[in-house]
Amino acid sequence: MIAATPPNDPAIRIVGLSKRFGDRIVLDDVSFDVAAGEVVAILGASGAGKTTLFRCLTRLASSDDGQIFLGEHAMQSLGGRELSLARSEIGLIFQQFNLIRRLSALDNVLAGRLGDVSTWRVMIRRFPHRDRQLALAALDRVGMLSYALQRADSLSGGQQQRVAIARALAQRSRFVLADEPVASLDPESAKSVLSILRDIARERMIAVLVSLHQVEFATQFADRVIGLRAGRMISDRPAAQFGEIDHRMIFAG
Amino acid sequence: MIEDKAAIVYPDPARSWIAVAPVRFVVTLSLLILVYGFSLYFVDFDVGRLWGGLPRLAHWAAKAWPPDLRELDILGERAMETVAMAIIGTTIGIVIAVPCCILAAQNITPSALLYTPVRWFLNILRGIDSFVFALLFVAAVGLGPFAGVLGVGLHSAGSIAKLWSEAIEAVEPGPLEAAALTGANWLKVIRYALLPDVLPNLTSIVLYVWEFNVRASTVLGLVGAGGIGQELKNSVDLLDFSRLFTIILIILAMVTLIDQFSAWLRRRLV
Repeated sequence: MIAATPPNDPAIRIVGLSKRFGDRIVLDDVSFDVAAGEVVAILGASGAGKTTLFRCLTRLASSDDGQIFLGEHAMQSLGGRELSLARSEIGLIFQQFNLIRRLSALDNVLAGRLGDVSTWRVMIRRFPHRDRQLALAALDRVGMLSYALQRADSLSGGQQQRVAIARALAQRSRFVLADEPVASLDPESAKSVLSILRDIARERMIAVLVSLHQVEFATQFADRVIGLRAGRMISDRPAAQFGEIDHRMIFAG
Repeated sequence: MIEDKAAIVYPDPARSWIAVAPVRFVVTLSLLILVYGFSLYFVDFDVGRLWGGLPRLAHWAAKAWPPDLRELDILGERAMETVAMAIIGTTIGIVIAVPCCILAAQNITPSALLYTPVRWFLNILRGIDSFVFALLFVAAVGLGPFAGVLGVGLHSAGSIAKLWSEAIEAVEPGPLEAAALTGANWLKVIRYALLPDVLPNLTSIVLYVWEFNVRASTVLGLVGAGGIGQELKNSVDLLDFSRLFTIILIILAMVTLIDQFSAWLRRRLV
């Protein structure tokens, strides 16, 4: 195994990551970096190992081999408070949005502040002025300010996903992991969500890792595209250089 | 038209012998006959005796008219007592159910070790009727509504906690996980991500149990545990049928009113 050092930039570094379920290999020697401000797309068919990779990154799943660094956090060696501190710097975007349905868009964005706000304040649901300002600014950034008081379950899929991005912003994430964020959205909403992800990466120097299964989205919105097939990285190139051959290697039966 | 000239002959998919329709019919029928045969034997079912008793019932019904309205104020007070018993009893149930339902909901329990014992405890509470609990409490704390309240409270605690924990277990795990991963501790996740989603459901369950408890409380007087049941028993003991008739009317009005009110409230919650 290559000896890996934490990168200087606050960015994601994965070195030789492997994961097995029984004797099935789900991730096989996966290595790549994501720089601050960069958007990297993981492209692969269902079952290629994308979700497992994301679960390993947040330590929701354990890995069998390899190393994961998120900024200065060596993820595998963390536990307890250190782990939850590291996690609080990761903004997660899910396919199913995972908003709290009966709460307003604003309350959902405030959920990004839960880690920092004292427990008694959460009990009475009174967030400090500073945190409310942060949440409103985040909603404004994703163009959802006028929906602040609408219940999450009354919003469209694209709107919900934008609220989820605002939650990640309010959390002041240094890393955003988005697992199939546009898989349940129509093409128009998908484009708006992905362009917001790309823009916030640039503006706030956030390292964004996004898994997708549509090639055109990957090449349009990401800086780099990584092809994953049966747990193996089979390509890693700048989005502009991604070609027909890569496409076939990733998806062909 | 479906062409099947060159069709392959598909063998019928093999079924187990029990799945063959006539076999299943005979087996089901014999089981039903067995169950009903035994049950009728045990309950001494006798149409002749019912027939013989009918004139007596008719005689009483005739004597019940007109209803005796002289003690309406006392009976009204007893009806209020019954509703109050249901309210306080349900509240005791809630207080016990809050910690229990958290321990008994698999997705949020802070202690896998306590999960099973708490489930058992709740099953015991639920398995023993308010009436039986009230009987014990009358012996322990004496006659009156207080014994009834304790009985209703213990039984409801089991029902509420079980229904609550099931409602909590049915919650989508995604939003809880998302909140936990922002760095929120367990208490924050419960309060902020879980409670808003389940609160309408939990309230609806409380109303449902309360409604049930009003009906259950009407008979607690039979064991001396207060409420309008006490008057019911007195009237039956004295064969005072016109008073009994009034009591039954009051119970019907009270139960109907409360069922409607509670159903209306529950509709508004969801």
